[in-house]
Amino acid sequence: MSQVRGPLDATLSSVCFGLAPFFAKKALLMGIHPLYGVAIGTVTGIAVNVLFIFCTGQARGLVTMKREGIKFALLASGCNTVAILTYYWAMSLGKVALVVPITCIYPFFTMLVTYLFMRKSEVIDRWTALGTLMIIVGIILTV
Amino acid sequence: MDPSILLSIICAGAWGTQAVFVKLALGGIALPAMILLTLVVNLLVVASCIGVTTEGGFSQFFAFSHSVYIYFMVAGFLNYFLGRGFYYSSFRFIGATRATAISSTYPLLSVALAIFGLGEKLAPRQYLGIALTLAGVYLLIMKGKK
Repeated sequence: MSQVRGPLDATLSSVCFGLAPFFAKKALLMGIHPLYGVAIGTVTGIAVNVLFIFCTGQARGLVTMKREGIKFALLASGCNTVAILTYYWAMSLGKVALVVPITCIYPFFTMLVTYLFMRKSEVIDRWTALGTLMIIVGIILTV
Repeated sequence: MDPSILLSIICAGAWGTQAVFVKLALGGIALPAMILLTLVVNLLVVASCIGVTTEGGFSQFFAFSHSVYIYFMVAGFLNYFLGRGFYYSSFRFIGATRATAISSTYPLLSVALAIFGLGEKLAPRQYLGIALTLAGVYLLIMKGKK
């Protein structure tokens, strides 16, 4: 199950991440500052997520969080926010043709941090390393 | 160094590191709660930035047309609810490295839409890039079957 579900979920996320910019770009072409777009999109995400949580009866999950889980979730949130802000800051200062390919190397950082801090729980074999590097180079060549 | 290059590298580093923290967090927090927490933190910081850095501030929200809201809401639904949901969900089943690498292939969809929807033609390097990316995804998925 996990062998199918994991790659399937990751692929579906890729499809969603790929479709979203088309709609955002249509609004941005009207001269809107990207931060407003992020704010509207985030509020939408929060509203739908809250609706989803209550409609699927998962509200209990909100109060049964472990301290360790919250700590890492906050660290993830911090990283995510830094990524969003630096992305738009870089876009406003430099060329898109330069910024986009550089930001595409993020799987390399995931592999590096995983190797440094999660070596015991997640093994990175040569196929994972090779596949990741091929994707990074491939995306840089494509964009 | 061009500041945009440095910022791009910081962005890639932060985005890449986030995946590892998500993987660690999911051991002690439910997936919907995880998504909600990251979105709330995002919103608080982005709202602060709007208040501090933009000229119009929050009053600008009243000046946008309905179509602007609809486009950003659709983008937000796809990116911050479905996309983030599937992305974080994949960490429950496979490693952070594989999940991040597979989900990072989203520019291929843009290329596919450009080819089939707009009839655009690609440069040879882009064909090479697509082939490399697909081969990389194949490697990551096939490795998981062993």
